[in-house]
Amino acid sequence: MNRILNRGIEHKKARWGWFFVLPSLVFFSIFSFYPIINAFYTSLFRKRLLSLRPPTFVGLDNYEYLLKSPDFWNSIKATFIFTLGTFIPIVICSLLLAAFIMSRKRFQKLFQMAFYSPAVLSSVVAATIWLLIFDPRGLANQGMNFLLGTVGTDYKWLASANMVRFSTILVYFWKYIGYFTIIYITGLASIPQSLHEAARIDGANGWKDFWYITIPLLKPTTVLVSIMSMLQCLKTFSTQYLFTQSGAPLEPINVITLNIYNTAIRDHNIGRASSMSVILFVIMLFFTWVQFRASRSGGEVDYM
Amino acid sequence: MKLIRGQSLFVDILIWGFLILTALLILAPIIFMFTASLMPARDIVKMPYPWIPQGLYLNNYEQAVRGNDGSYIFPRNILNSFIVAGLVSVTTVLISALTGYGLAKFPFRGRNLVFLIIMATMMIPFEAIMIPLYLVATSLRIQNTYTGLILPFLTNAFGIFLMRQYLITFPDEILDAARIDGSGELSIFWRIILPNSAPAIATLSILTFRSQWDNLLWPLLIAQSEEMKTIPLYIVKFAAEKHTDEGAMMAAAAIASIPILILFLTLSKYFVSGASLYSSRKG
Repeated sequence: MNRILNRGIEHKKARWGWFFVLPSLVFFSIFSFYPIINAFYTSLFRKRLLSLRPPTFVGLDNYEYLLKSPDFWNSIKATFIFTLGTFIPIVICSLLLAAFIMSRKRFQKLFQMAFYSPAVLSSVVAATIWLLIFDPRGLANQGMNFLLGTVGTDYKWLASANMVRFSTILVYFWKYIGYFTIIYITGLASIPQSLHEAARIDGANGWKDFWYITIPLLKPTTVLVSIMSMLQCLKTFSTQYLFTQSGAPLEPINVITLNIYNTAIRDHNIGRASSMSVILFVIMLFFTWVQFRASRSGGEVDYM
Repeated sequence: MKLIRGQSLFVDILIWGFLILTALLILAPIIFMFTASLMPARDIVKMPYPWIPQGLYLNNYEQAVRGNDGSYIFPRNILNSFIVAGLVSVTTVLISALTGYGLAKFPFRGRNLVFLIIMATMMIPFEAIMIPLYLVATSLRIQNTYTGLILPFLTNAFGIFLMRQYLITFPDEILDAARIDGSGELSIFWRIILPNSAPAIATLSILTFRSQWDNLLWPLLIAQSEEMKTIPLYIVKFAAEKHTDEGAMMAAAAIASIPILILFLTLSKYFVSGASLYSSRKG
């Protein structure tokens, strides 16, 4: 009797469980899974925006076109330069900043807030501020002239190809460094203090403690930070969009997302834009997988 | 112990100096935005930059609000940003809490699979699905409407993850007691679960609000008329116009930043806990 009653309750609970998750499942089916499948599907067609003609099936033609297109390879190159140039410095610097903040007994919260504040601003606002800083008469040139001891040199932040790449990297680095510093601080705080004390007793100095205790134990956080920052960089859009809209050269910073947007909205070529979307998706999946594998190979860190 | 302290006095000063200098460098562009927004253009391009405004030059703010064409559309765009970010925060909290609760407290066959499927959507970047979504929106005829701006963001995997993690430790005894008292499941959700999830809800709604406030790509596709545009779109257009004054540009940027900076300064705890949530997942 009791068992039957229990089963009844469990049955009822299961039904309510489905009821509670159902809205989300419907939502994700329509707004996540259907679009990504649709992107795969559309990438096999020649399809134009606003065109009344039915799309024609072209197989892998769109992909073939892209693989031969210098414009697309330029986008791949721009995206990878941006991603590598941004996420590696972010991982290293945010770790160092977090370690420095945690080594202080006072004002930890204050520093965290100061470093985090750019991440709070809109990316468009961030890009607008830097647009003025990179002005020929702006702070960037003033700063460089001061540091390098030059007088009145224009470093062409938004004009020369390499500098405009560097400029977008700088904006992104500035905006997200604090965010990842905070993630590292949480990671640092979760390392038991007793381990540091044990290392000290064994004669390790601050540097050795950091290198042999902190860094290895932070591996899960480092994997997390590098995956998150890398994915974030691969889909960068706002800074590049605003800079090109305001007159910066397109080619050096024509990242994949910007190319997708222009191909679809300006050139009305939906099929080709979809195949680019699929390639972006696959690239992101691939790099996440690579980093997960790399993090597994060293063995799981366990200090609990 | 003393010896170590004595040795590190120099290092101590070095680290303090480094931290303070870095903090100033990171804050400098934000300070630049606010100071430049109060200066006439000829002061902004002065070399070296003066940093302290000579009095309050509010013409910049006037020009930012008026727009180069005198249409005064910026206030409407600000309102749109508040409407969209506000509504998306509400739906995200409600749907995420509902689903998170279902996943945390109701054992059913396939529950882990459902959780996995939802988490898998984190791997689908918005940038890769924006074109199909745009086509969906066109076929539903919701482009250039609030519905269109809001619909793709009703909930997200991160929110569901956050709510599930928070609710998983909620004591079952309280729920069972409420059931024995005859409360229905929906009223338990509404009267027990939601009020008791305040910290998680605060974190989630703030992060959602911020990310919608920042959203550029989707409104760029979907908001065609000036009346339906949001703040980021206005700023992009305003910054790209040739005759926009530097000061007015910074005033527009400052107006866009003030609401979010006020949120940050008053509720920084939730911003920080949102950022650190990811990493606490492992521990």
